[in-house]
Amino acid sequence: MKRPIRRISGLLGCVAAAAVLAACSNGASSNATGASQPASGGASVNGGTATIDMASAPDSLDPQYGYTIESGEADWITYTPLLTYAHANGEAGTQVIPGLATALPVVSNGGKTYTLTLRSGLKFSNGAPVVASDFTYAVERMLRLNWGGDSFFTQTVAGASAYLNGKASSISGITTDNSTGRITIQLTAAYGAFDNLLAFPAVAPVPAGTAMTNLPTDPPPGVGAYVIKDVIPNQSFELVKNPLFAGFHIPGIPAGHLSTIKVDIVTNTTTEAEEVLDNQADNFDAGDTIPTALTSQITSQAGSRFSLQPVETTYYFFLNQSKAPFNNKLAREAVNLAVDREAFDRLAGGTINPGCYLLATGLVGHPTKACPWGTLNSANVAQAKSLIKQAGLVGAPVTVYGEQVAPVEQWVEYYTGVLNSIGLKATIKFVDGSTYFPTVGSKTADPQTGYSAWSEDFPNPVDFYLLVDANSIQPVGNRDRSYVDDPHIQSELAKLDLVPTSQLQSVASQWSALDYYVASQADEVVFGYGTAPKFFSNRINPSTAVFSPIWYNDWSTWQLSS
Amino acid sequence: MALNQGLPRADRAGLLLGDDLVADEVIPGISPYRLAARRLRRDRTALGFGCLFLLIVAACLLAPVYSHDVAGIGPNVNNVTGTIQVNGRSVNVVSLQGIPIGPTWHARYFFGADTLGRDVAVRLLYGGRTSLAIGFMAAAITMIFGVAVGLVAGYYRGVVDGVLARLLDIIWAYPAVLLGVAIGTSLALGGLKIGPLTIQGNSIFIPAFLIGFVYIPYVAKPIRGQVLALREREFVDAARGLACGNVRIMVREILPNLSSTIVVFFPLIVAGAILLEASLSFLGAGVQPPNASWGTMIQEGLPLLTTSPQLVLVPGGMLVLTVLGINVFGEGVRDALDPKSTIRLGR
Amino acid sequence: MTRFIVRRTMQMVAVLFCTSVFTFLIFQVIPNGNPALRLAGQTATPQTIAAIERQWGFNKPIYVQYLDTMQKVLTGSVISYSQQINVLAEIRRGLPATISLAGGAAVIWLLAGVALGTLSALRAGRFSDRALAVLSLVGISTPSFVLATALLYLLAYKVHVFPLSGYVPLTQSPWQWFLHLVLPWFCLSFIYVGFYSRVLRSNMLDTLREDYVRTATAKGLSRRRVIVGHVLRASLIPLISLWGLDFAGVIGGGAILVEVVFNLNGVGQYAAESIQTLDVPPVLVIVMYGAFLVVVLSAIIDVLYVVLDPRVRLNA
Repeated sequence: MKRPIRRISGLLGCVAAAAVLAACSNGASSNATGASQPASGGASVNGGTATIDMASAPDSLDPQYGYTIESGEADWITYTPLLTYAHANGEAGTQVIPGLATALPVVSNGGKTYTLTLRSGLKFSNGAPVVASDFTYAVERMLRLNWGGDSFFTQTVAGASAYLNGKASSISGITTDNSTGRITIQLTAAYGAFDNLLAFPAVAPVPAGTAMTNLPTDPPPGVGAYVIKDVIPNQSFELVKNPLFAGFHIPGIPAGHLSTIKVDIVTNTTTEAEEVLDNQADNFDAGDTIPTALTSQITSQAGSRFSLQPVETTYYFFLNQSKAPFNNKLAREAVNLAVDREAFDRLAGGTINPGCYLLATGLVGHPTKACPWGTLNSANVAQAKSLIKQAGLVGAPVTVYGEQVAPVEQWVEYYTGVLNSIGLKATIKFVDGSTYFPTVGSKTADPQTGYSAWSEDFPNPVDFYLLVDANSIQPVGNRDRSYVDDPHIQSELAKLDLVPTSQLQSVASQWSALDYYVASQADEVVFGYGTAPKFFSNRINPSTAVFSPIWYNDWSTWQLSS
Repeated sequence: MALNQGLPRADRAGLLLGDDLVADEVIPGISPYRLAARRLRRDRTALGFGCLFLLIVAACLLAPVYSHDVAGIGPNVNNVTGTIQVNGRSVNVVSLQGIPIGPTWHARYFFGADTLGRDVAVRLLYGGRTSLAIGFMAAAITMIFGVAVGLVAGYYRGVVDGVLARLLDIIWAYPAVLLGVAIGTSLALGGLKIGPLTIQGNSIFIPAFLIGFVYIPYVAKPIRGQVLALREREFVDAARGLACGNVRIMVREILPNLSSTIVVFFPLIVAGAILLEASLSFLGAGVQPPNASWGTMIQEGLPLLTTSPQLVLVPGGMLVLTVLGINVFGEGVRDALDPKSTIRLGR
Repeated sequence: MTRFIVRRTMQMVAVLFCTSVFTFLIFQVIPNGNPALRLAGQTATPQTIAAIERQWGFNKPIYVQYLDTMQKVLTGSVISYSQQINVLAEIRRGLPATISLAGGAAVIWLLAGVALGTLSALRAGRFSDRALAVLSLVGISTPSFVLATALLYLLAYKVHVFPLSGYVPLTQSPWQWFLHLVLPWFCLSFIYVGFYSRVLRSNMLDTLREDYVRTATAKGLSRRRVIVGHVLRASLIPLISLWGLDFAGVIGGGAILVEVVFNLNGVGQYAAESIQTLDVPPVLVIVMYGAFLVVVLSAIIDVLYVVLDPRVRLNA
């Protein structure tokens, strides 16, 4: 799951969200935008500069290290991997297309062997030629740098785990032939979503010999429409057009219109929003949340250049089934009945979409049936109370874990209030943001219930089903925080995990049935799905700007409005 | 007799001049404290503010009464999706965009609601109990230890001063925020056990001790500075000449001269403590939600300052009034106790 | 004087050592504070966590880790856990903004505090004194970020007078540097002005009653000479202590909230982020830097005591 890093959360986040409502008075703000004349007439407008305001800095722009929304937005158009996603809106944007490879991989050997061929004539942004072994180097570097998603590879690619442990000096499962450009990857077992794994910028080829340490201020050269330069950590960075890229003519990957994209880190989301509202900056980064106090103003003043895009992030509370009181199914059902999912939306200022299924809307497998717990804007407290009584759990102590970041803090307070209203004795334990997930994922703390969220890494339900897969239970860094160990889920997953992403539609109804089952088992208390703001100044044409369901804003499709 | 005539009455109390003084001429003396009380009674402003402060305390203590009989809702009862009747119309307590209603000036939601639909007026009173308790406990800790350390360091100087002053430097340089996180996260997961004493994670003693501790250098350093100057004064030499011990000199001679500083600092530290507590609660080391305190109410209301300013102004206003009350009353007490304060009596 | 300097320097080394050790230990106390857990991210396996621990040396004994880190700090090569950038370079980048903010504000609040405190003391009991009392107390009770929010809303949304945010270096444009700092200076000083004026007022009222003041007036010195030359000098002593502490605190990163609201990217902002992510190296360096400043300023203040009040003798 990508981490949307909130560098300054808690107190400071509250401050940042609240502070300035101001327009720059004399154009002397640090977000000066340089405009160049847009081409007159014509189908697309080339050239020009845009400035993006981001409230949280990317964790690192180094593709083999970065694992946040912010780094993803920059890296996916600067480091094209062997495969990538179509640059399109909505469902079309979830399709995997060839990137630096000539075609989608040939899968053989019962799904355990993947063969691809590197395009010929490719060069890195520094002019050095790209060879097949550069892919292997990138994978090794990704493992050495302990990229946040490296477990996807250690658990699938043969020899990756041994390499990470230092027991092997290379990855046995990847073989390449630089003269033909052929790349062959052996998996330990068939994995349907492997195509999606190959589409991570983390395994985009980089020149062999690039230092095996995180290079946040001077990222390595890549093959992409843009090149990253002038990185000042926590302050700003720039992307400039890569003159070599258009010459490769890779179908389906735009070569970019804007000549320069400048990103400024503005920690104050209210300042950010006002600057974009006043056209002092061109984009409010999709990874940030529009401040509640400004929402109505933005919709009325800038409705044509603002929209909330639904994204595949699921917000939920986990219910630890391995101990009281949630080892009792009646208790879990009671909680699911008693929460009013609409309330969570209001507490978030209207920025989430209420829901009760683990798979978000728009993901293959999202059930269309009505929620088993009633409508999304109602709560059945009476029935919940009687279930708790029936289970003999009145007065049972429960500790709810949460982070003190808006709106999570309000969500946790509301949820605790609901637990108390149905007869449990609930108290809140707030854990500081930086240690929150390690804490709730560890056996030492062993929380009974708490807040959690999951953003998709790739558009395949297997990514979300880590959360209810008994195989992912581990004493540290546990993702299955509800300790779900359901034989029916396991048997379904064993079949569905093998289905390649390109054939997902054929098993859509099975996923949907499984998801409905998970909801009715009350394994989690899902309450909503996320949205991301697509908010521009009047200088950028909003209709030609693509919003990728995976990477959010597609900067390579932006043009100046003519 | 002639000797006695020119002196003010109070100073004659207790003077013995041998056989010259006849029994029926012994004038009963008035203790300095009774004199102070008299002077205080005449200081109407100080008394007024003192009453204001007592009123605030009383209101906060009566919070359950207000909650039960007037507002009809508890301080931690959420009402996110509820509605109330305003001017005959049914209105959402919290709008669909998350904006709560403003003051209704009626029994229910007198000052309006917060983002979770809770009654601000009720939370104000309950929060007052917490804030006042923490503010006073922290200020007491700060003043007691700050004065003690400052006194000892300034009086003894030398090695003692060296060590104490450097300790104060370390405490001051240390970000309270970090201490708060450390204590907060460890407590969030287990509570604190010191010998036979177990303190729960959400006890208010924790922020009180932490804040009190953090402010010690802020009081100790100025006190130390003052003591460095005072110890060179004539009355200290005189006391030494009378073979008074060090402790006696510190307590009986120097300490009373620090009273102005102490009286001035105390309410200021109370205010600072209440506000610092708010930042710490965000790190899990202060008042834990859903409980209220004025500081946390201000913090929670800040994002909506432009749409619902009452969320910040109501607790903020209470804080100012409380601090004002303590401060003016405190200065009145100090003036009353000071026999030479002729300046301030002639109003 | 040399003995004084030597002694203080030795004490400073002791302070820095104790502070660094204490900081290091505090991170051990924080449960689940193992940096490897955070570096590994949400999808970490025990394998990844172990790999990170080996790579960073988190599996070595604590005193070995401490010595390694301190060595890197002293040679200027220490990097942060979360972003792996050089800590000292980051601090150097943020220093101009923090010094500009702290320096300017410190001067303002000292002058304003002294002026208002003197005014209050001289007009004690009268209406202007009361009004200033209320104003001071409002100032102390107002958190700086609330003031910042309100001011920016009023002076930038309603009336476009001041720029939004950000810091412009003095060398780049003095006027812009000034304009960008006016509001931050005001917000930061507001609280301290209130505090200082109350403390000074109290001290002055005490001093005004002293015999030597009466003597000075009786000798025929003008009121102004008496106030400035005698009363103020004696009353300033506790205030100077406070000023030293506050200035050290602000320069050491205490102006966090103001820096964040105005997006000045100073040391305070960096400190806040590092604490938030429990990033040991930056926190360690910043705390030591703060302690260093506090000790230096304490020494300067102690020397000032002697200047202000000749009766004070320093033998420490």
